[in-house]
Amino acid sequence: MAKTLKDLRPVYVVGAGWHRYQPLSETPYVMLGLPAIRGALADAGIAWTDVESTYFGTGLLGMAAGRAMLKHLGATGRPLVHIENASASGSAAFRHACIEIAAGIADVSLVIGVDKPGVVQRAFTKTGISNLADDAIVPFTHFALLTNEYANKHGVAPEDVALVAVKNHRNGALNPHAHRQQVRTLEEILGGRPVSGTLTALQCCPVGEGAAAVIVVSEDAIKRLGIDPAHAVRVTASAASSERAGAVGAADASITKDTIAEALAQAQIGPRQIDVMELHDAFTIEELQYVEAMGICKPGEAIHLLKEGAFDIGGQCAVSPSGGLIAMGHPIGPTGVGQIGELALQLRGDAGPRQHKGAKVGLAHMVGLGAVCYVHVLQRP
Amino acid sequence: MSPSELLKPTLYAAEGTAAVPDHPALHGGKCTCGHVFFPMQTYGCEVCGRNGDALQPLRLSGRGKLIATATVHIHAGKPPKPEVKPHEVPFTIGSIALEDGPTVRTLLVGVAGKALKPGTAMVATLVPVGTGAASILDLRFTPAS
Ligand SMILES: [Zn+2]
Repeated sequence: MAKTLKDLRPVYVVGAGWHRYQPLSETPYVMLGLPAIRGALADAGIAWTDVESTYFGTGLLGMAAGRAMLKHLGATGRPLVHIENASASGSAAFRHACIEIAAGIADVSLVIGVDKPGVVQRAFTKTGISNLADDAIVPFTHFALLTNEYANKHGVAPEDVALVAVKNHRNGALNPHAHRQQVRTLEEILGGRPVSGTLTALQCCPVGEGAAAVIVVSEDAIKRLGIDPAHAVRVTASAASSERAGAVGAADASITKDTIAEALAQAQIGPRQIDVMELHDAFTIEELQYVEAMGICKPGEAIHLLKEGAFDIGGQCAVSPSGGLIAMGHPIGPTGVGQIGELALQLRGDAGPRQHKGAKVGLAHMVGLGAVCYVHVLQRP
Repeated sequence: MSPSELLKPTLYAAEGTAAVPDHPALHGGKCTCGHVFFPMQTYGCEVCGRNGDALQPLRLSGRGKLIATATVHIHAGKPPKPEVKPHEVPFTIGSIALEDGPTVRTLLVGVAGKALKPGTAMVATLVPVGTGAASILDLRFTPAS
């Protein structure tokens, strides 16, 4: 029978680093990635020469970005692979690094996500099968349609959905790595530029540039390299899936439901045991749908918990304390890696002003176009 | 009436189905497993994986029920060819559950000032989208009454 991550060698996250997520600039991608990697190595207290393999998540840079960047750390000759999985590229890179460590093929791996906005033709538009209005329906309209469906079904007002953005902008204002670092009022969010349906600009994630890196290691590496065990956060579940035929409702929410359920089963915990989570909130409506899909509350009830402050830092479960995709930003490749880094800080108690006190269990969730879904559970030993 | 050209003739026809003759039909398909899909293709069935002749064309009626709408305020896309008008914002997109099974998403017309409640009966219609003398028609959905 196939095994899960938890059946194999324990895997730990021992370091995290970032280059701030920001609007497109002249900075070459190499100079986004290198500071993030050096930050993660310093956080882990290890040297680049200790790293045995690299997983590079990127969606938009184009072919063969990795060696041209990594050689500036000293060309060690170690294996390197690039992973593209749309918005979930970084999450996929993290999963495969964890699998390599768990399998015993390496003791220390680097996961790095780097991206800059660029013109990449999406392959799914090149299948040779067109549709009625492909040119008129972009992701924000997909989520505007889901917002309208949700609002009608549950009698939720657009200004209630926008409260997700109020919380996430507030969290982002506490995060030096966030693309958006400004507290926003509900009035500012609702009065902003209309995008599609009831979604306004501040309810949609900014897609800019940036980098995030994490170091994953085995127990052997912790001992051999003298890493402080209090600095290590264990990865207790890794689940991944793609859209299947016959699923009920919106694909993004249905694969979220299935994949989170699988991850929680692997970690042998229930949804209410999660102290802190980073969700794929590219658009406000997603946070409500995913919190409900994972079983924290019944469909249509997430808004009540949000209003009570249950998802605030210091609440029942801090949801996207980094600011989430809406405020921290969504540079594609880095996004899923940055989620893991944020959870590592939270579970170590190193998240500074945005620390959710006493966080022991964290969950990271990403959805990528297609659709694909990734969920990881991290726990303080 | 001058001859009209359809913008996407592989996706729909001006003629309706026997059940709904007054509204354009959509070119869908049906697999031997029973799965009905849109648009027609023979690459393979999303439910069972059968391909080729197991997938046969099936004309879907241009009638369905509204699931959701969104009025789009920002649009950067270009028209597929210069003879076709660009989409001018604001325009409204609808998700429609066709009575024959598949759900489609496209632009709506004739919705100004109308309450677009879920479940509203919708029908397909052809609208002119050309910029010049030639008549080019594209498919839209509109409330049935
Ligand atoms: Zn079939």
